[in-house]
Amino acid sequence: MDMTPMIDCVFLLMIFFVLVIDLSQKNLEDLILPRAEFMEPDESPPEGRPIINILQNGTVIYGGEVYFDPTEDGKNYKKIADLLLNIRRDGIAKETLHLVDKDIGGATAKVIDDPILIRADKWTEWHFVGEVMKQCSQPQIAFWKVQLALSDQDKETNVKNASIK
Amino acid sequence: MSAIDDAQEEAKSDMTPMIDVVFLMIIFFICIEFKVLESKLDAFLPTDKGSQSTVVEPEEQLSIKIHVQSKGIPTYKLGGPGVLSPETERPYRFILKGHKVRWEIGPKPVGSLAAVKAELDRIAGLPASMIPDKKTGGKKLMSCVIEAYPGTYYEDVAKTNDAANAAGFKEVNFGGGLGEAKK
Repeated sequence: MDMTPMIDCVFLLMIFFVLVIDLSQKNLEDLILPRAEFMEPDESPPEGRPIINILQNGTVIYGGEVYFDPTEDGKNYKKIADLLLNIRRDGIAKETLHLVDKDIGGATAKVIDDPILIRADKWTEWHFVGEVMKQCSQPQIAFWKVQLALSDQDKETNVKNASIK
Repeated sequence: MSAIDDAQEEAKSDMTPMIDVVFLMIIFFICIEFKVLESKLDAFLPTDKGSQSTVVEPEEQLSIKIHVQSKGIPTYKLGGPGVLSPETERPYRFILKGHKVRWEIGPKPVGSLAAVKAELDRIAGLPASMIPDKKTGGKKLMSCVIEAYPGTYYEDVAKTNDAANAAGFKEVNFGGGLGEAKK
């Protein structure tokens, strides 16, 4: 019996599932990120790094679920704070987030030593991104290692960085 | 079987494995296209707000303000404002056309991104821009703070930050930007 077609099919399925799982686990929304030349590649992000997605209209999405929608919630930014508090609690319980004591002006404060990634569409009003950053800096939340997601190519205009051939 | 028949048999090559491999490669490259190369910008927040017990002398900072000149018109390829795509259950994406901002670097008004880069390069080269580094005791380039006024977009801030990084500013902070644009 010829096994070749079966092996071919199995390989195809494997590649398909590996890529699909890889994409779905990252909790990435379909956004167009701004292009920037001078930034760090996001090659090996820490496991369990929270990713907050912000759509063009300011909707905040985490893990595929909407947590804040400005068209419904208006300026009720407490929903963002609650989301971040939950992420913090879960992360500490699962040990993906770690607290450290930081000496701030003579007093010791507990802050989260792990990064959080904010992904926003290039045409998202900055105040929505700023609001998430503001909530991250609240003392009871204390995510201070905020990272903003960028891309080395603009999928809207198809302009690429010179480093990409 | 004659020698001629043998030679003909060898000439008939089986195309199936080659087509299989080609298909595999096509699928592989299509999937790679979907995997967007992403990168990150560290925007570490100040941890010293609200709990300061000693007075720290503020460091000199370069202020880069972004003001909106023309808000721009959201243009939809599909759908419209507030319409959800039935497939993704997310609003349709728009492209902002005619959006224009102007900058203010220190006291100087600047009209284009190229001019922002040139001005930041000039400032980074000034001896007055070097401030004492308290950690190492040496000198370092002062930090800059990007103040995005209401109505500016993430794209504007990202491009400005990129220009600051290109000029050699290592420490970039974000200020302002809170509050919605007037409709």
